[in-house]
Amino acid sequence: MFLVDAPLTGRREVGRDMFVIAMHAPEIASTVRAGQFVNLGWSGGPLLRRPFSVYRVDGGDIEIVLKAVGAGTTELLAVEPGARLSCLGPLGHGFDLTSGARTAVLVSGGLGVAPMPITARDAAANGMRITWVHGARTAAELCSEAQGDEVIWATDDGSRGAHGTAVAAAPTGDIVLACGPNRMLAAVADRWPEAQVAVETYMGCGTGVCLGCAVPLRRGGYDRACKEGPVYRAADIDWPALPSQLSYTVMAR
Amino acid sequence: MSVAVGAMTLRGPVMAASGTFGYGTEVPLLERRALGAMVSKGIFLRAREGTAPPRIAETPSGMLNAIGLQGPGADALVRDYAPRWAEWDFPVLVNINGESAAEYGELAARLDGVPGISGFEINISCPNVEQGGLYFGNDPRAAAAVTEAVRNRTSLPVWVKLTPMVSDIGVIARAVESAGADALCAINTFVGMSIDLNAYKPRLSFRTGGLSGPAIRPLAVHLAHQAARAVRIPVIGIGGIARPEDALEFLVAGCAAVQVGTATFANPRAVAEVHDGIAAFLEGRGCRSLSELPRYLPRD
Repeated sequence: MFLVDAPLTGRREVGRDMFVIAMHAPEIASTVRAGQFVNLGWSGGPLLRRPFSVYRVDGGDIEIVLKAVGAGTTELLAVEPGARLSCLGPLGHGFDLTSGARTAVLVSGGLGVAPMPITARDAAANGMRITWVHGARTAAELCSEAQGDEVIWATDDGSRGAHGTAVAAAPTGDIVLACGPNRMLAAVADRWPEAQVAVETYMGCGTGVCLGCAVPLRRGGYDRACKEGPVYRAADIDWPALPSQLSYTVMAR
Repeated sequence: MSVAVGAMTLRGPVMAASGTFGYGTEVPLLERRALGAMVSKGIFLRAREGTAPPRIAETPSGMLNAIGLQGPGADALVRDYAPRWAEWDFPVLVNINGESAAEYGELAARLDGVPGISGFEINISCPNVEQGGLYFGNDPRAAAAVTEAVRNRTSLPVWVKLTPMVSDIGVIARAVESAGADALCAINTFVGMSIDLNAYKPRLSFRTGGLSGPAIRPLAVHLAHQAARAVRIPVIGIGGIARPEDALEFLVAGCAAVQVGTATFANPRAVAEVHDGIAAFLEGRGCRSLSELPRYLPRD
């Protein structure tokens, strides 16, 4: 775990209102594993840091993907290149890609693309053939950067690829790795109880001390998305007890 | 910068507040070098699961939390954490909780004498199950009864963490002082609520939560000051401290020491930065020790 003052080095749009930003954090870039995240703070920013899966690594830079969903992400998207972000990470427990599987199916919905490029990289490095199924509400909202040996698109309105959800469009493979809204992950759990899923929760510290990011477990009790998670075996989560969609501060207009 | 809190001498005036530093073992970046003491996450005699998510919500300059005192219980604390604390060069106090005065006493007795545990901070912001769920901390008699129940079962320092949700904190402060408290910690979180305008319901599953962070700092400085005016035992200031000057406000207002809490979530080095900043301030103002810092503490 490192705390790095990381200059913002780049920004690009990868889907409608969906941006990738890059920051120079070599200590994190060289140690982060698929499914791990960073907790970001910035000068003049909100009280708590904001957690983001590491999207991609490029030399000494790490990238994250985000949309302006609340006040924090709106501010973050306004940070100018060269300005510094306080970057804490890598955090959490990522995907286990050491099982010897030969094929991996990546299933991502909307911003659930967040951990997938680095996951595709690591799975390919472990000799797996990658099928990446990426879904969104409409073609415009798909992330344009999905890649693999095979890419399958899915949209709720049928404007690109399969008409329906990414889960429905996905073939099966030796391992299934999924990220997206918790409701989507519950559907993943129904179809593939052994899938590895990266969940989304509200988070306070990101380091295991505040116990704010509780994930309800089928065996009873809770553990921490930031420490034991954010990646879980799908069947281990008590899905009805996990808030299905996080809401952010609504601004009256 | 050493400071006396009752019979205890701390190497510095800045401590880690309960619930914001875990058990001190979770984060390698949490700097322990500057810690005067650590207060561990609140614990009950038996393990508790905690409340359903969402447990936290950010609010302007603050956060609400309803964790529900999730914890492993006394036996696991003694087995898993105390042995590590025994090797550290600063004291660890355990924040203790109960549903009855007797349960607080039982917990103190279970932990008394365990190597690595240097004292207790009593959280009196718990509902008293035997009295219909009224909070111990709102009633001077109940607060005193809990303090006495713990005092009778241990010879270690006993601090009492006061709730701000009272009409006169001085009354509670005097009651627990008379019951044998060695120090007071002022204050715990304020009870608050925030509404999700998409779902038309509270943002926390527990409905309400404890408000912490800079939003409560002026309220906390006032209440800590009122408590300090009311008693002769030391008061430890808590509430929204993120920077050295925040801590200095509490110290000048009559506190013997301070605890840093929520700030640690965003900045794992907050305790060390506050500690170093106080030292620099004292030097800049020509104070050779904390005892030379001018105080504003007119006696009632």
